Amino acid sequence: MRRDPVLVTCAVVVAVLLVAAFLPLDAVSTNLAERFAGPSPAHPLGTDNLGRDVLARLVVGTRLSVWFTLVAVVVCAAIGTLVGLLAGYAGGAVGQLLQRVLDVLVAIPTIIVGLVVAAVREPGLGTLAIAVLLTGWTPFARLAYQLTVRERAREYVEGAVALGAGAGRIALVHILPNAIRPLTAHACLRFANVLLSLAGLSFLGLGAQPPTPEWGAMLAEGRQFLFAAPQLVVLPGAAVVVAALVVTLLGRRLDARWSGR
Amino acid sequence: MTGLVGRRLLTVPFVLLGAALLIFLLPRLAGVDTVRAVLRSRTAEAEPDPAVAARVTAELGLDRSWVEQFLRWLGHALRGDLGTSFATRTPIAPQLGAALEVSAVLSALALLVAAVVGIPLGVRAARRRGGLADRVVTAISVVGVAVPEFVLAPVLVLLLAIAVPLLPATGWGTPAQAVLPVLTLACFPVALAAQLTRAETLDALARPHVTVALAKGLGPSRLVWRHGARLALTGVTALSGMFFAGLLGGAVVVEVAFGIPGLGRLLYDSVIGQDLPMLQAGLLAVVAVAVVAGIGAEAVALALDPVARSEAEG
Repeated sequence: MRRDPVLVTCAVVVAVLLVAAFLPLDAVSTNLAERFAGPSPAHPLGTDNLGRDVLARLVVGTRLSVWFTLVAVVVCAAIGTLVGLLAGYAGGAVGQLLQRVLDVLVAIPTIIVGLVVAAVREPGLGTLAIAVLLTGWTPFARLAYQLTVRERAREYVEGAVALGAGAGRIALVHILPNAIRPLTAHACLRFANVLLSLAGLSFLGLGAQPPTPEWGAMLAEGRQFLFAAPQLVVLPGAAVVVAALVVTLLGRRLDARWSGR
Repeated sequence: MTGLVGRRLLTVPFVLLGAALLIFLLPRLAGVDTVRAVLRSRTAEAEPDPAVAARVTAELGLDRSWVEQFLRWLGHALRGDLGTSFATRTPIAPQLGAALEVSAVLSALALLVAAVVGIPLGVRAARRRGGLADRVVTAISVVGVAVPEFVLAPVLVLLLAIAVPLLPATGWGTPAQAVLPVLTLACFPVALAAQLTRAETLDALARPHVTVALAKGLGPSRLVWRHGARLALTGVTALSGMFFAGLLGGAVVVEVAFGIPGLGRLLYDSVIGQDLPMLQAGLLAVVAVAVVAGIGAEAVALALDPVARSEAEG
């Protein structure tokens, strides 16, 4: 780990983002006298169309953009892994069926599911959560299935069967620990995807509602002032891209390290 | 090969029927009050007049059983009548057709850019693993996947329509208006195509027949294109679902951001306007396109790969 500066840098940036989310900053109070202000000591990145501090909004936006994504990815990973593990261990027709179902499900974009959920519910954070959970577990199920099928053929599983271990014990105690590292690396790679989907739904007005600070929603609001104050689009856009990029790089490093590729 | 594709085509009506049933039941499963949704889209009143509500219920046939309603909806849909929009009170089918046409052109252009730019980049990167070209292409593709359409769209407008006023910022119809949306939509498929082509070409180049070709004295350029890339393309087409999902989700954002009257915009407007029949018709179109695209991709994969073809036949 020590010899990989990219890995360390990415991990540090992610840690900083996760901690910064809880800084007690004022991201919602408006000040119409100071609309579209440039950078100053009081407002390092200036203010937006309602005179709110842009830096504070970006930092507090981490709560929704990064923490919400993190929780969503962990839940999706847990569900997908469990499904893939059980189907992979059962094998045969169950495994084939799961693969066919997943082939269809991975072609459904989160944005479309989000639109449908928003149509039958209200736009909001609950809608975001449902849309991401409905689509987010499938890549984990696919990977966990492949890993389980591979691991099941190994001798240690045969040994466990010979010792009388049950199917659930073998899947969870013997196979899962051997699949957890590639799954963790995959979670980092999926993180970027989920982050972008959530921010995209908020951009469309289906997720976080104003005045909640969220990067996608900030960008949508700033787009109305693209001509006068392009920084209101560029700054949240940069936050989204940097967060997605850093976690993707982290995932790629971990994947290369742990998958032995 | 035609036999296999034909068998796949036979399943299409059943898939569509299942999807139609799900889409029809969607508002019911979610407990949406259709009458209220209609009235809310037409008037600003919070509490509808009971007499008006009763009339709308009868008008929409909501007083009958859901089976009867579904069959009626399906029967009309099969005759090309997809109902009337709650919001505009005009027939849906012509609007949907026009929107599909726009989105088809937009996605086809983006996919073309992805094929023309992404695939050669991937093949070039695979020629020497870890070389300069490989590192540059990998960096481009990692960044390309991390930049979403809703960031790229305003940034491109800022650069090429506001800072340097070369191109129109919104609209659809002229070739100039298509440039920014197509570039925005193509970003993800280009990056994905480059990544997948690179990985698949590297895999293909590790196979024994490539070593034999190398031993026989084949040049590196011919080797990577004739033996590597051809095999790689089968792998890429097999993952067409990822491209489809990327294009479809991206199309919603791009069409909203650039004000393009396509299918994504239609779905978005119908959600915002609580226009249920329009949303249902749009979703049905999405499923139909997805099914046809899936079969098309499979046919292309079979045409490219003789091994898969013989396995599928046997």
